Amino acid sequence: MSIESSKGWEPKIIVFACNWCSYAAADLAGLNHLDYPADVRIIRTPCSGRMDPLFVMRAFNRGADGVLLSG
Amino acid sequence: MRKRVGVFVCECGTNIAATVNTEKVAEYASTLPGVAYATTYKYMCSDPGQELIRASIAEHELEQVVVASCSPRMHENTFRRAVEAGGINPYMFEMVNIREQNSWVHHDKQLATSKAMDLVRMAVSKVLKNQPLQKSTIPITKKAMVIGGGIAGMQAALDIAEAGYQVILLEREASIGGKMAQLDKTFPTMDCAA
Amino acid sequence: MVAAAQHPNIELMTYAEVKKVSGYIGNFTVSVRKKAKYVDWDLCTGCGTCIEKCPTKKIKDEFNLGIGLRTAIHKLFPQAVPGKPYIDAESCRKLTQDKCGVCEKVCPTKAINFNDKDEMVDIEVGAIVMATGYDLFKWEEVYGEYGYGKYPDVISGLHFERLVSAGGPTGGKIVRPSDGKEPKSVAFIKCVGSRDDTKGKSYCSRACCMYTAKHAYQVKDKIADSEAYVFYMDVRTAGKNYEEFYQRALNAGAKYIRGRVSKIYPRGDKLVLKSEDTLLGMPIEVEADLVVLATAMVPSAGAVDLAKAIGFSVDKDGFYQEAHPKLQPMETFAAGVYLAGACQGPKDIPDTVAQASGAAVKVCGLFSKPELATDPMTSVVDATKCSGCGLCVPICPYGAISLKERKERGGHGQGPFIRQVAEVNSSLCQGCGACVPACRTMALNLKGFTDEQLVAEVDALCL
Repeated sequence: MSIESSKGWEPKIIVFACNWCSYAAADLAGLNHLDYPADVRIIRTPCSGRMDPLFVMRAFNRGADGVLLSG
Repeated sequence: MRKRVGVFVCECGTNIAATVNTEKVAEYASTLPGVAYATTYKYMCSDPGQELIRASIAEHELEQVVVASCSPRMHENTFRRAVEAGGINPYMFEMVNIREQNSWVHHDKQLATSKAMDLVRMAVSKVLKNQPLQKSTIPITKKAMVIGGGIAGMQAALDIAEAGYQVILLEREASIGGKMAQLDKTFPTMDCAA
Repeated sequence: MVAAAQHPNIELMTYAEVKKVSGYIGNFTVSVRKKAKYVDWDLCTGCGTCIEKCPTKKIKDEFNLGIGLRTAIHKLFPQAVPGKPYIDAESCRKLTQDKCGVCEKVCPTKAINFNDKDEMVDIEVGAIVMATGYDLFKWEEVYGEYGYGKYPDVISGLHFERLVSAGGPTGGKIVRPSDGKEPKSVAFIKCVGSRDDTKGKSYCSRACCMYTAKHAYQVKDKIADSEAYVFYMDVRTAGKNYEEFYQRALNAGAKYIRGRVSKIYPRGDKLVLKSEDTLLGMPIEVEADLVVLATAMVPSAGAVDLAKAIGFSVDKDGFYQEAHPKLQPMETFAAGVYLAGACQGPKDIPDTVAQASGAAVKVCGLFSKPELATDPMTSVVDATKCSGCGLCVPICPYGAISLKERKERGGHGQGPFIRQVAEVNSSLCQGCGACVPACRTMALNLKGFTDEQLVAEVDALCL
């Protein structure tokens, strides 16, 4: 499932981000045009409290290379 | 619920289009299961952009809408209203962030485009599971309580009362006035505190 | 004060404390304890005969910070609003020893009631404005170098306000608490408890630079041939006409000395302040008759407990936490609860008034709607799956989940039975979804962010 790129293999990292803090922070990084690797895919959650271990297991089970919870 | 998703990819002038190949993203979106229609537009949030959503809902009999543009923290409500104006439940809508969390933070066009496709696929999968939701309303007791009868409490109570609402000004001491009643003249005008 | 008391839409409820708040935006129930006043204010005309005749006259007057005395039956201060007296139960001889009762005899309207009791009332309101203000930092407990409060002529700024106030116990004459003499030399120390990580608070209390400038000016203005020394770290005058006001104090002859006072000790009937003048780079010594400390503002007593009772957060110093430092300075994390004044952080009067008007606008905005629309993305319980274990109840940070009895039809020849199932109050639910992973039977789900939706997103990304 890794990302295809001219530079070869790139990992795919699933991020679960709380709408009120981390997701907003990721938006802020965008507003400031702070460059970071394109390997992350952010899923918005209403709160990090919404996180279920199930989602993490599911992501790894389906082949994610990394999972980041932030909230 | 029929699966007829419309995907609208915003170019945001060049904010998105300079880094993400929006045409390619829309083209890819139209191949996804459940997607009935996909297109791009220069500014989705503009009046003509919203009109495009409304018209497309009617024309393509859309049941779900995905907009790939800026952060939902910015325009989620804008598009919800557009979707509702188009005649479908405003919660049959998902937004994909391909500006703040993509085009503005990546430079590699290929990687950014591929990320945008992934994110659109994610939103389409989600929106297919969406259910219509109804806002409910709750009654409001139009009476306020101000806790603390110092200058802050008195000012707030007076302003609310002036607007025509009932206010209870609660104070734990036997008199209102708070610290301000203890003060002599006040800076910078040296007028009396009482 | 009088404007607030006379407004037809304002009901004053003084000598009362909030005990409990339940409910949610638009629909709060506030439980209030109205403390016993032992005077029926409906009958009382505020004539003051009882105050004149009360024989218990030697109680330290708290309102004047112990300068001057008051009676057991008294008004908080002569211009109190409402202008009616109450009995301080701890010092009244009738209430403590069942003697006296003079006030009852002299009251022309029979308003005195020694059997008065605290009364609990529940009040329904739609919005709450917190305006609990501040207290002064207790410098006596930590500043040993300033005498731990044992020198009577080392006082706080508020104390000085009572001395200089025309309505105060001295009629506005500045005198030394120790001997009642007029001080010729007054020293002011700023940032006592403020900007002091080791002994006090890290923050700046914001109003002290200005009121100290005012005090110094008043010393120069009221006492002929006087000296006013101000020991400071910085002079912060960020406000309209503030810098000009500070210059006025300087022009009046106030002497500003940049340095922290390291020690105060008595010499004869004077106090000696040892400090460094950091601009001259040398130690200095100043003799003063009176020392006034500009003490830090701290949240008022009980403010933190009140926040807990209502259900919103406080910051590291106990001030009420605003929802956003720039964009939502009057809102709390509890919808329908707004902030005004120094309870949110140290403030002077102009800023307090501005914030109070802002909070009032928030309340009026809420009240201007016929009904309140709620976000539908709330948790729901599938009662058929719920086992009634109740694990979700303490998880919910908003107190939105409770166990309710549910009557069910029995099967296989059994009669109907009652069992407990969780119920979500959708008005209280803020849609965080913390309850969903806590549910062992997967009976809870969050509308808009269901397990199915989130799993679909994970699956789609991991293709």
